[in-house]
Amino acid sequence: MVDIIEEPVGKDKRKIFRVKKEDLIAAMKSFFEQGFDHLSLITGIDRRDKIEVVYHLHSVERNEYIVVKTETINDTVPSVTSIWQSADWDEREQYDLMGIIFEGHPNLKRILLPEGWSGFPLRKNYDLSKVQFVNMDESGNDYASFDPGDGW
Amino acid sequence: MEISEPTNKYVELNMGPQHPSTHGVLRLKLLLDGETVKKVEPIIGYLHRNAEKICELDYYCDSLIYFDRMDYVNSLSMEAGYLEAAEKLLGIEPPERAKWIRTIMAELSRIASHLVWAGAYGLDMGMLTPFFYVFDLREKLLDIFTEASGSRLLTNYMSIGGVYQDFNEKIIFMIREFLETFPKKLEEVFNLFVKNDIFISRTKGIGILEKDVAISYGVTGPMLRGSGVEYDVRKAEPYLMYDKVNFDIPVSYSKDCLGRFLVRYEEMRQSLKIVRQALDKIPEGPYFNPKAKKSLMIRLRGDGEVYARTESSKGEFGVYIVGDGSVKPYRVRVRSPTFKNLSVLREIGKDVMIADLVAISGSIDLVFGEVDR
Repeated sequence: MVDIIEEPVGKDKRKIFRVKKEDLIAAMKSFFEQGFDHLSLITGIDRRDKIEVVYHLHSVERNEYIVVKTETINDTVPSVTSIWQSADWDEREQYDLMGIIFEGHPNLKRILLPEGWSGFPLRKNYDLSKVQFVNMDESGNDYASFDPGDGW
Repeated sequence: MEISEPTNKYVELNMGPQHPSTHGVLRLKLLLDGETVKKVEPIIGYLHRNAEKICELDYYCDSLIYFDRMDYVNSLSMEAGYLEAAEKLLGIEPPERAKWIRTIMAELSRIASHLVWAGAYGLDMGMLTPFFYVFDLREKLLDIFTEASGSRLLTNYMSIGGVYQDFNEKIIFMIREFLETFPKKLEEVFNLFVKNDIFISRTKGIGILEKDVAISYGVTGPMLRGSGVEYDVRKAEPYLMYDKVNFDIPVSYSKDCLGRFLVRYEEMRQSLKIVRQALDKIPEGPYFNPKAKKSLMIRLRGDGEVYARTESSKGEFGVYIVGDGSVKPYRVRVRSPTFKNLSVLREIGKDVMIADLVAISGSIDLVFGEVDR
């Protein structure tokens, strides 16, 4: 039995559901079967001691919009790519910028930042004073390093 | 010297990031079998500024300019999208006149965006002529934006609690003049496209996007309506004054590039219809909420969380703001429609010719300020 706790609606009058990380896949499957065929957005929020992952689900047919929330303390969350295709790039983006590891994602690598970037910019403890330089290697792929003269 | 047989059947090719047909800085990694594309992988991030992080470091009122710079050909719709979320979070309601002004400006901006797209799409298809006609038409709109805000492209016209300055008689006259002259000229440009055999044969039946694939990939906007789904945020969840005006949602059931072209063309005409009604209905009154006047603006505090979605010219543009009771947002997340629309290229760009891939990627309406944010 999946534990889905309904929370009071926010300022935008959307229904909010909170599920445990272990129940996420089962809960999402049940939402998908209820007609929520469009995963609009995946957001990671750094709450300092834990990371909150927010899913905005939408049913195109019924025009209903709900919010599903879960949280994690060790940065890992099960991937929902098996349910919605659009989760693929969204999860890659959240991995890239927030450092959430989506278990079971087929191709979890950086999407906006170049390979080798150190740190996750949207984390609250990210050091903005450190400058990193983007270089290109001989096959045309970008990579980041702290040395401006490095690279091709 | 012995020439050995090639061991690999497929050739890997990079298209972009400086390729003229990729609309900015899109890099496509192609796996080719002859001239047929077997696999396509879009590589993005060349224009990444991390606007979400910058917004976290700024006051609520200051973040607006970064939204201008996301979709720079449609900046007024972007501003309306951000303010929809920020005003709900801060609890500030703009006066009715400001809402009507925003509706008019967002619709004019949508027309400008579709015009740029049509011109650039013509260039992709090897037609140079429509580009000049279209940019001439767009210049009239930019004149209106300049008159209202003082700036052509990155307008920064709206602000929390209203708009920067009221519509004067000159702007209303310019818009009315535009409404009168535009439909005929648009028809002329439209004929340049659809009466051209090459354009038709390069777009008809190319890039078929099925309905369920589109929804699963999160595709919205003219691309989704081009696949036969009647879905528009302006109707589904009306914001600003869209529930007080009368307009239709154009839908194409052909699911191809030509369908998307026709949807955008009809959308421009519907936008004109909205602007015409809005000009008649716009009431007199204040254009700014005094609760958010300039000296108080940086002291506005937001608590709780809001997700607001609006229909930009590319699709569902969503802004999710989480506040923690301070003068700066705790987390800002942007749902950019083109980011999702581009991800479907992996699906519809498979098993096509390279020349068709240009037609397909052009029909997505890519603006890289928004994809990479």
